[in-house]
Amino acid sequence: MQNLKAIIVASLMAVMPFSSDAGPSKELFWDELIPKGHVQLEQQDAASHNENAQANWVQPDLDAPVVQELNGKTVSIPGFVVPLEGDDELITEFLLVPYFGACIHVPPPPPNQIVHVIIKDGVPIDSLYDAIVVTGELSTKGWSGEIAEVGYTMKGIGVAPFEG
Amino acid sequence: MKILTLAQKSLLNRKSTVLLTLLTIAVSVMLLLGVERIRTQAKASFANTISGTDLIVGARTGSTNLLLYSVFRIGHATHNVSWQSYESIKNHRTVKWSIPLSLGDSHKGFPVLGTTTDYFKHYQFGKKQHLDFAQGHAFEQPFDVVLGATIAKKLGYQLNDKIVVSHGAGNTSFHHHDEHPFTVVGILKATGTPLDKTLHLPLIAIDKMHGSSAQTPSHDHDHDHDHDHDHDHDHHNHDIDLIGEPKQITAFLLGLNSRIGVLSLQRSINTDANLTKNEALLAIIPGLTLRQLWEMLSMVEQVLLVISGFVVVSGLLGMLTSLLTSLNQRRRELAILRSLGARPWQIGMLLVSESVLLTATGCIIGVGLLYALQLATAAQLQSLSGLQLSLTWLTQHEMLLIAGVLISGLLVGLIPAWRAYKYSLSDGMSIRV
Repeated sequence: MQNLKAIIVASLMAVMPFSSDAGPSKELFWDELIPKGHVQLEQQDAASHNENAQANWVQPDLDAPVVQELNGKTVSIPGFVVPLEGDDELITEFLLVPYFGACIHVPPPPPNQIVHVIIKDGVPIDSLYDAIVVTGELSTKGWSGEIAEVGYTMKGIGVAPFEG
Repeated sequence: MKILTLAQKSLLNRKSTVLLTLLTIAVSVMLLLGVERIRTQAKASFANTISGTDLIVGARTGSTNLLLYSVFRIGHATHNVSWQSYESIKNHRTVKWSIPLSLGDSHKGFPVLGTTTDYFKHYQFGKKQHLDFAQGHAFEQPFDVVLGATIAKKLGYQLNDKIVVSHGAGNTSFHHHDEHPFTVVGILKATGTPLDKTLHLPLIAIDKMHGSSAQTPSHDHDHDHDHDHDHDHDHHNHDIDLIGEPKQITAFLLGLNSRIGVLSLQRSINTDANLTKNEALLAIIPGLTLRQLWEMLSMVEQVLLVISGFVVVSGLLGMLTSLLTSLNQRRRELAILRSLGARPWQIGMLLVSESVLLTATGCIIGVGLLYALQLATAAQLQSLSGLQLSLTWLTQHEMLLIAGVLISGLLVGLIPAWRAYKYSLSDGMSIRV
């Protein structure tokens, strides 16, 4: 009976590897995207409206490193969406950030706290105020740009509402 | 089946009321579908207009306003961006390409856009599609113009035609820049976006046009700028200067090396006075602003949908009224049917099939009306509001709406059916009125 169940699950996953709850992807949290030992500015510090820290006001930690081991891993990350591309219903490309409003009130998170997600077929996203969980294959490969500003990109395969 | 033909014949016997009922339903269905169509297609055409652009930068204003005037040519800029800030931001290390936009002039009511050849190289619409020329090529001389597809078609312009551009954005202008006729060197392929209605000129043309005829006091002033002639000559393989020395532009589009850097550069432009040369600028992410616009408008959308839903309900109520009032007059007809052997439930079915027939025919006529109206008004709608409605076959969503109307028609039909059933039970073959 146990075997049968395993077979069913396995075959289901083989048939629909792109379903939003695609099996055992590792759930990642944002601090796991920071390499161990790297002293990163606390998100809250960076996000505080600290006027005298002029440098922080733009963006903290521009050359923050990424965790190379995560390259090629299929993971799930919860976060908020900053849409980049899409049509009137589906979003095909977005930035996943750890806190809402990463666009207006506070400086943006360091590059290693932003995930650039590309979902080929697009996903409908109802409200930008709701957190979601994105599952996909993470890549740490830097961009064509000549200088630093590396970061994570993800080939998204599914999106689910965040239930925390 | 027999009941259906019987219903049909009975309906044909009461032509005038039936016709009116049909019309009510048809008009309400047309309205429902029309509102839905305008809503979804307007949204889709908006979403298709810009793609692949990371940031839009303009003078500080509302983000929606900036998006609307820079990309959709709706509304006007409140202020311009100085050329120095543009140069400064353009040279930021994360910027891959930039497209300056200079708006404000018109040709026979169509907007004129001053820009560089980078526009044709980098501007993307729809799903990251690049611009394509139907005829000709990008501008190479200061007085070349590239037309959007709609303009060429509407005004009947061909390659090598000479046209005159007027100052200001009105339909007619008393201030033509007659001294500078432009030569049509390219016509773009249709994109289904506001771009089709735009005339594209090199930046230098806009500058010259205003410089020589408007006689602005600041005209002499711009010779004093030591620009070092460093603006992008390397972009053009020939030596003709297509940019000149513009003092200001309306807005500009930026493409970045990495989209991860979008938030950071946006932040810098919005807050870093060094980068923007102390100018108050606003950078927006088009995808995000568009989304925010949708969220803002979703209330209005829902209200529209609810209103057209109520129109359908009132149409169906009209049908109910006419069915119920006619029922009394038809008691004799029902009695005859009874005497011929019809059972009470069959009488009920007769009434239900009547209302279903009415609703279905109403829906078909409504769809027909919708297409007729769309065909008749498409051109006007486009020139008035810039909205391009395509004559598509019914979408799945529209089918669902129609199905909803049909089901409501069936449910409404149950009421007179119940009455008729009761009548035929109590009346039998003789009517006691």
